[in-house]
Amino acid sequence: MAETLRRVLNLGIAAGPGKNTAEAEPPLLLLGGPGSGKTALLFAAALEAAGEGRGPVLFLTRRPLQSLPRRTGPALEPLRLQKIRFQYPSSTRELLRFLCSAHEARGPAPSLLLLDGLEEYLVEDPGSQEAAYLAALLLDTAVHFSHRVGPGRGCGLIVALQTQEEGGDSGNALQLALLQRYFPAQCWLQPDAAGPGQCCLRASLEPGGLGPREEWWVIFQPDGEMTVTRRPTQAVDTSSHKGSSSGGQP
Amino acid sequence: MAARTGPLTLPAVVEELLSEMAAAVRDGAPIPDEHLLSLKFVFGSSAVQALDLVDRRSVTLISSPSGRRVYQVLGSSGRTYTCLASCHYCSCPAFAFSVLRKGDSLLCKHLLAVYLSQITRTCQQLSVSDKQLTDILSVEKTQEA
Repeated sequence: MAETLRRVLNLGIAAGPGKNTAEAEPPLLLLGGPGSGKTALLFAAALEAAGEGRGPVLFLTRRPLQSLPRRTGPALEPLRLQKIRFQYPSSTRELLRFLCSAHEARGPAPSLLLLDGLEEYLVEDPGSQEAAYLAALLLDTAVHFSHRVGPGRGCGLIVALQTQEEGGDSGNALQLALLQRYFPAQCWLQPDAAGPGQCCLRASLEPGGLGPREEWWVIFQPDGEMTVTRRPTQAVDTSSHKGSSSGGQP
Repeated sequence: MAARTGPLTLPAVVEELLSEMAAAVRDGAPIPDEHLLSLKFVFGSSAVQALDLVDRRSVTLISSPSGRRVYQVLGSSGRTYTCLASCHYCSCPAFAFSVLRKGDSLLCKHLLAVYLSQITRTCQQLSVSDKQLTDILSVEKTQEA
């Protein structure tokens, strides 16, 4: 199921076997409220990419993860963890400096660049040009890594942004709209009804013009294992669907 | 931009116009009038200003040994603006206002000048060290008008 997750986050567009894999997948913005599983999903993507053997994974976040997000089963091997490089830029300025100097670093280029908690870096400087500058630099850094990685799928980019509940102030809406221009592909996470002891999320992927919207259920079992199930979307409705779990359990 | 990797790519009709222009000027010919007209239709006054910047060889492609690149455009005011090579971003105030905030314009004149310089192959080239490139990227934030 980890592969399915990878597709979720990397727009594998499972329906397209002939997809041109010579380019990196489009950058993805992972959105959701607090506690909606963004960090866990980001970390799962990191483990998955680390296992592919294409290059290290760069995980940027403001604060060290207090505990590794819910385990993702056998994928949490020490070897994979070793390939994930954590960096903790403590301020927007530090993050910018890191991105601006990313080309100076030697060694193998990352195959995946992840940033958790973009909202924490934007709060310092909420102006639109600053947000655009940060988004554009993230893209530019990933593009540079892609060139260094060479032919193949390049370097992916996934950025997690915490969103507020409906009715947040319009400033945030503007900022989000701006970020969506730089990240045409988005994945929204929402908590969903779950069985006892489970934590269930609904992941809704908008590939930004590259395909139809797709949805999945992401379920964390009590033992920490994460499973991903495709959710049929032919009904294309966003209203309640609780109780109709037509997706088969893996 | 060479690497049209998705974000903020131009609408298909504009992309088409630019590639037709590229084909037409391939042998060193000037940009055909019909393309200039289309350019003005799409971009309005920015088109004229961008063409002017191109004529004056105002666009410089800066690269470092790392392979990373960035553009700098010498504006009409004498101020230099920085444009990213991988996606649409320019440090000029017009970009922040007309493109980002209002969504009136697709590109500012500097970004358009970058595209046109690529097509007409009139970019100046400048090689800098990796560290210098970091500095150039670092001062990209909005410069005062």
